[in-house]
Parts: sequence; structure tokens; C-alpha cells
Amino acid sequence: MLSNRIAALILLCWPVGAQTPAPAAPAPSPAPAPAPAYVGSETCQPCHEDIYNAFQKSPHKLVDTQKRRGWEGKACESCHGPGGKHAESADKAAIVNPAHLPPAEADRDCLKCHLNQPTHIGRIQSSHAKNEVACTACHSIHRNGPNGLVPRRAAAVNELCASCHTAVWAEFQRPYKHRLPEGAMSCVDCHNPHGSILPASAQSYAANEPGCFRCHGNLRGPFTFEHAPVRLEGCGSCHEPHGSANPRMLARAEVRYLCLECHANLPTAPGPIKNPPALGGVPPAFHDLLSPQFRNCTVCHMKVHGSYVNQDLLR
Amino acid sequence: MRLGLALFVTIPLLAQQAAQQTAPPTAPSTAPAAADASSTSPTPSTEPWITGTVDFGFRFTSVGGDNDVYRSVVNLGQGPRLLGLDLTIVDPKKRLFDRLDVRANNWGGDPYNTLHVNASKRGIYDFNFDYRDIAYFSLLPSFADPLLGTGIVLDQDSYFSRRRMSDFQLDLFPGHRIIPYLAYGRDSGEGTGITTFESDVNQYPVADHMFDKTDNYRGGVRLEFNRFHATLEQGGTTLRDDQQAYDSTVNYGNNYQQQYFGQTLDLTNLMQAYGIRGDSIYSKVLFTANPFSWIDVSGQFLYSRPETNVNYTQFDTGNLVLQQSILFYTAEQALGFAAGKQPHTTGSLGFELRPLKRVRVLQTWMTDRMHTSAAGQFTDMILQPVSAATTTLTPLTSLLVLNYNQEQTDVLLEVTHKLTLHGGYRYVWGDAETGNMLIAGPGQESSELRQQVGIAGFNFRATQKLTANVDFEDASSSHAYFLTSLYNYQKMRARARYQLVSTLALQASFSLLNNQNPAAGSNYDFLSRQNSLSATWTPSKRVSIVGEYTRSTLRSNIGYLEPEFLSPVTSLYRDNAHNASALVDLVLPGYAKLTPRLAFGGSLFISSGSRPTTFYQPLVRLSLPLHKGVVWKSEYRYYGYDEAFYQYEGFRAHLLQTGLAISR
Repeated sequence: MLSNRIAALILLCWPVGAQTPAPAAPAPSPAPAPAPAYVGSETCQPCHEDIYNAFQKSPHKLVDTQKRRGWEGKACESCHGPGGKHAESADKAAIVNPAHLPPAEADRDCLKCHLNQPTHIGRIQSSHAKNEVACTACHSIHRNGPNGLVPRRAAAVNELCASCHTAVWAEFQRPYKHRLPEGAMSCVDCHNPHGSILPASAQSYAANEPGCFRCHGNLRGPFTFEHAPVRLEGCGSCHEPHGSANPRMLARAEVRYLCLECHANLPTAPGPIKNPPALGGVPPAFHDLLSPQFRNCTVCHMKVHGSYVNQDLLR
Repeated sequence: MRLGLALFVTIPLLAQQAAQQTAPPTAPSTAPAAADASSTSPTPSTEPWITGTVDFGFRFTSVGGDNDVYRSVVNLGQGPRLLGLDLTIVDPKKRLFDRLDVRANNWGGDPYNTLHVNASKRGIYDFNFDYRDIAYFSLLPSFADPLLGTGIVLDQDSYFSRRRMSDFQLDLFPGHRIIPYLAYGRDSGEGTGITTFESDVNQYPVADHMFDKTDNYRGGVRLEFNRFHATLEQGGTTLRDDQQAYDSTVNYGNNYQQQYFGQTLDLTNLMQAYGIRGDSIYSKVLFTANPFSWIDVSGQFLYSRPETNVNYTQFDTGNLVLQQSILFYTAEQALGFAAGKQPHTTGSLGFELRPLKRVRVLQTWMTDRMHTSAAGQFTDMILQPVSAATTTLTPLTSLLVLNYNQEQTDVLLEVTHKLTLHGGYRYVWGDAETGNMLIAGPGQESSELRQQVGIAGFNFRATQKLTANVDFEDASSSHAYFLTSLYNYQKMRARARYQLVSTLALQASFSLLNNQNPAAGSNYDFLSRQNSLSATWTPSKRVSIVGEYTRSTLRSNIGYLEPEFLSPVTSLYRDNAHNASALVDLVLPGYAKLTPRLAFGGSLFISSGSRPTTFYQPLVRLSLPLHKGVVWKSEYRYYGYDEAFYQYEGFRAHLLQTGLAISR
């Protein structure tokens, strides 16, 4: 069924797509009528001197110097298009300004070269791309900051992300949180802004494991007895990683409620259980919750992330 | 004396960034126009070979209230500190490197130290080193103490540990299209704490020492061609995880003064050790292609296979009991060994199709398959009294199987240059099985996941000054893994930005998650909302004000059967919070071409509901330039923390930090 659907989609789109005029290819494409006049980056310098000077120290300067990209000496025009008319008239309308293009169109300029790079693989699955957050929203193209085209210092990265994700940043003002406001971590330690196979663009570790294990390697396992939610739904099933008013960034004020909401003791059919109300719902426990001893399940079930030797996660 | 010494030592060394407001003079605006030079050397020879800032200071702290909670939440101490260092070295002759960047923050006793080094030589290599040392302190009676209501403070389940993370990566550029790279990372943790020794019904808080270390080695190659990029990577990890719990005192623990069939239970000696060794290999293949101008294709194949080997030993003495047989014993030994493995395969494939100039179709498929299995044996021996000596063998066998699949289609239609509509559909399905492999019955569970999600949204760019974005998801499920999982839910995010006037920009955002699971007895009802408003106002060159306010509400109702009598009850959780932060930045009248600055503001968090909490963090910063490139910086910060239900955990802390910054 799936393959039929793909075939149908491709069949539907192919003829139309074939007629679509191609966006600028990496090498200068021959124009139909009078060839567009490329004038070279140095022509841009007298009027745009600040940008030109900054650009000399930008990693993008490579475009000007590397033959393989096909824009040697014409780095400005690799994104802005032929500058001949603009150079003659100084008319803004006579040159492409990617900042004024729809984001998806501007991004395609970037992706001509940055097709992959280590981080771009998930872009098609990226919510930034789907929400048309352009590359230039985070990356400066001309200027080379202290550490490249994008902030690298943790505090600066966080400031950049927080400028849009204000409500998320507010969560970091809660007492129990990861150390982002202190500048010890940055948003990109946990999220890949270019996209990821994991929910919420979470970083992965060692190929396909959640990025949390990069710092919490002792919780990676595999454990002899796994706690299923850790693997099936991730750390976020019990923790609020951005911040919480509850100790250890827990999603509930008291540990017992966090546990009982899944381990709900709800009745189910006897025998091997198929499709119970929830995994972990049975068998029931018989602890007296009026006794303070049983109010924090993790005092005894301390290996709550998984145990190497005990099925009940007691040691 | 200590203060004087610290100041004496640090003042001459100090160099603080002339605040982040003052750009480091890396790019002289009078730039040597030399056009010819620009093409050969991007670094004008007149540029200083070293630029950057060094920021040293001394912090004074005064903490009132619960110091342990202060350390669990803030943990900043008193003393001299290297607050920040940011140096860039440019070698005009480009011998070993073109450029070397070094950044360090919070050294000298702070609970989080960072160091980052980047060296690069264009066309030859790019080297990155990242180091972090983060202290974790957790001692919260309200979280951990099972006997707090009786006045006994055990501090059970607390710890003080440090995690150190180092990452090295070297990218080589032997050619333009093939880029090999090598990387090594180490994550280690060590610390002490209090944990529970648990054996049958015997529970005792005991001292705990933790040590773990994970080494990660990887290498790969990136292939970059005009229409095709690929990354091939092979890596591996090793794990060592040693935990030891011990006790040599008479420990009454959680049985304190409680008689058990006329006897007082205690623990007089314990040696418990976990020796975990693990390793893993993993492989990554990533590719992106642009075979035609109207289609992009990307995919990845990821495989990992972590394995662990377990050795567990335990020896304990005291007056202990086996509940089921009411057997008292005085010495016990336990040995356990096991091996577990977790082959894990993930694959994804997707494409972006542009059949028309204004239409994009994004299609992705993903599958994730993880099968964990383990086997071993646990031997528990009652050694004394000899008359009660028994040996119990327990097999340690388990499995956890997860098969997850996802398919998603998104269509983006650019109606005009100002409006893009977005619609889509996602189908998620999978199955999971968990339990003891030897038990076919209540110990084994399997479940399924079936979820259909409709997606809609739009991006509106009315002008460059006004933009808005809305995303909406509506999902319906027939199966989910857990009662609290997303089931029938609506998720919405909206965001708008408006540049009202050139000096004032506003942003508003709203997010909502409404999730319902109608499972009988549970009736999960979850609703969270976040409303946020932020403004940036620059009324003059001397004044800038940034402010944000967020109101969040969370309501969760879920039913369960109370464990002892299986009577139905509802777990209620409420978290309604106000969060505000602001910073006013003032440029004060200058002197001798130097410009002092004053900033004040901070953040507050006030919540009500299941754990009413207030957390205030006001601050004042003053930067006084003393000379060109030398700034005296001071900061006062207050932390006030209170919990209505646990007032003994509140604290108030005053922190004053002062020092010099030298920049070049």
C-alpha cells in the first residue's frame, strides 16, 4: 500500500516537477537571452565596504577562493545573483536580496552547498524548516563573529534560542533545571536545530540513542531489568528537562504520584497480557501509603532507571 | 586577609571583557582597504595577534535558611574566580594554525567549569576540544526522607557528585570533497551519597560511593559532492560503572525503634559492590542528495549494539529477617552476574518534492527497532545462624522489545509571498513487549501503539515588521504504551512578532497541549497552557529594556487504585506559574572617553498548585571602565527560595561579585 502511494505521488509530481524551472545550480547556468552579467565580488566592495571587509574573515570567503564551487571571485553573486545591473544602477530592485525572499527559497541558496554537513541530515524532518525559520535567522552570512557564523558561546546560543522560545526559557528560571542560565550548557547540547530523528529535535548519542546519555552515561545500560518508559518514551516521561518546581526536575510534586499514575493497579484480564490499559499497570502493590516510608517509591526502588540485578529495581 | 590576598593576586591579572556590549576590536572599522591583500590574506597584518578578554573576580556569599537546599539549587560558593576568558589568537604566518580560540568560564571552585578550544588551519584541519566539569549536589529531605514526618532525618537518596565531560574532534581537509574526522569523548562521574540497602523487608540508609566512566571513540568520513553528500561513521564506547555501598555502624534505619515479632532489626555491617563493564559499537550512514532541482532526498541508517556485563557482590550482617518465612538471620551473602545486550537499529528516509514553484511536499518514513535481552543468575545465601543456612538461586532473565514506526506527509503551499499554509498527516505505529522471559503470565506484558495525527498551520509574513506562525496537531489513538502517554490530544503553538516602532519590538507566543486517555479507571485528563509576552524597548541610545512575562498553567487528573485496598482515587496535579524577567541597561554619563554602564533586573517565579514555590533572582550589575580596555565589574545577585509546604527548605542568599576585566 505504501509503495503504491509513493508511486502515485511520484507519478503525480514528476511531469509537473520536470517543467519547474530549476533554481540556481551550483555552477553558473547559461541564461537564455543576454547572459546575466557577473561583475565579481570586488565590484561590490566600494559601496558595501563594511560587509566586504567582514566577509574577508568569514568562512564563506572560501566560496571566493575555491574553484570547485564554481564561484571563484564571485562569492557575493553566489547568493545575490548577477550584480551587473545593480552595479550600474545601484537600484535595490536590480539584485536579489535573500533576506527579502520567502525563507524556503532563501534556504535553498544555502543548501546548494550545505546539502549535508554533519548536522543537516535531519532537515527534512526539522520543525524549523517546516515552520520556515530561515537559516539566516540564526546564522550571519557575511560577518564572522568570534566563533564563526553562529554563536558558539553557550550563553550566546541560549540568548539566540530564547529570543523565539521565550516560554521555554521561562522554564529555566525555575529552581530545578539544567544549568543553562549559568552558561554551563546550551540549548544545542540537547537539541539539534537542524532537525533530528528524535522528537523535539533532540540530539542523539552513539548513533541512535537519546542525547541525554552523552552526559548521563551511567544510565545508558543496557540494564538486566529495564524500566520500560525510559526506552519507550524517554527521560521526558518522568522529568521536565527544561525546569521544574519539583526536585530532580520531576513532572510531579511527589514521587509516588509519578509512579502510581502508570502503576495504577487497574484490573486486567488474567494470563499473558495483551494490550493492557498501560504497560506497568499490574501487578498491584500493597504498600500502605499512609506510612511515610512508602511515600517516596525511589527510596526502596532506587534503581528506577533500570537495575542490573533486581527485577523490582530494588538494587 | 583571604579577601585581601585574593584581590592582590587577581587584580593585576584581571582583564574583563568590556562587557559584551563592547565589541572586541577584532575588526578595525578603518579596515585596510588593500584589495589585493584581501585576496591573499584575510587577516590584515596590522591586526593584533591576540584579542579577547579575561575576567577575574571575587565572590562573597551569605546564605540564610537551609544551606543544603541552597547547594541543591544554586551552589555558588565564595572565593576568587576566573569568571570568563575569551581569547583569539591569529597567526599571521599561518604556521600551526590560522586561528586559535580559547574560551573558559567559571573556574576556581564554581560548580560548573567549562573550557573550549578551537584551532583551525584553513584547508588543513579544524580541531575542537570541549571540557565541562559540573557538580551535582542533591540533599532535599522533602524529596528523599521517608521518615521525615517522624522527625528522623536520614537524607536518604542524596548525593554529591561531579561529572566531567571531555570531547575532542579533529576534522581533516585533505581535499575538497572528502573530509575524514576523528573524535573521542569521555564522560565520567564520581561522588558520594546516601542510598538504601534493600534486602527483602530490611531497608537501611547507607553510605554510597559512585564512579562511572564512558569512553566514546568514533571516526568517519564526509563526502561532499555537488548534488550528493554522505557521512559514514563508525564508533564504539566502553563503560565502567562501579558503585559501592557500605556501612559498619549499628544502623536501625527505617525500622528505627520498631519491633518485628519482638525483635529489633538492625544492620551492623555491609559491603555491597556493583561492577559493571560495557561496550558498544555503532555505525552511522547519512546521506542527502539533490538529484534534480525539484527534489531533495535524505536518509539515514543507524545501528548500535551496547552490551553490559554485571558482577554484583554483597555481604551483610546484623539482625535481619526474611518476611515470608519470618526467618531471622545474622549474616547473608549475595552474588549476581548477568550479561545484557541491546541491538538497536534505526532507519529513516525522506524527500522534499517541489512539484510547483509554490508547493513543497515533504514525506518521511522512520523505523526504530530495539531489542534488549539479558540473562544471568543471582545467588542469595543465608550464612548464619547455621541452622537457618539456605541458598536461593534466582535466574536473571528479561527482555524489552520496541518496534516503532512513523510515516509523515507535509504539504506546504506558498499562497503568496506573505502566506504559507501547512497541512499534513502522521501515522505512528509500533509494539512493545517487556517482562521476564521465563514467566509467561503476569510478569510479561505487550502493548501496541497506534496513533493518527492531523497537522495544520500557517506562516504569515505581513511585513518585515509583522510575522505570525501557527502550528496545530490533532491526534487520535487506539493504543498507547502508558496511561500518561499522548493519546487523544490537541497540540497548538502560535507565535507573533511585531516591530511596533523602530525602538519597540513585541513578541507573543501561546502553546497548548490537551491530552485525554479514556481508559477505564484512569480517565486521564491533562491540559497545559503557556502564554508568553516579551518586549524589547530602546527608547534612547542610553537606555534599553528587555522584559518577558510567561503565564503557565497545568492541570492533570488521572485515576488509579490506591495500593493497599485497591480503592479508586484520583491523582491531581496542578502547577500554575507566573514567570517574569527583565533587564534594564543604562549607559551612564561618561568620563575621559570611558562609558560606565548600569544594569538591573532579574527574574521571578511564583507558582501555586501542588508544590507552591517562589524563586526570586534579582540582580544589579555595574561596569566602570578604569582605563581603555580595563573595566571594574561588580554584580549583586539575590536568590530567594520558598516552598509553602516545606518551609524549612527555604533559603535566602546574597552574592556579591567584583573584579576586573581586561580586554584587548
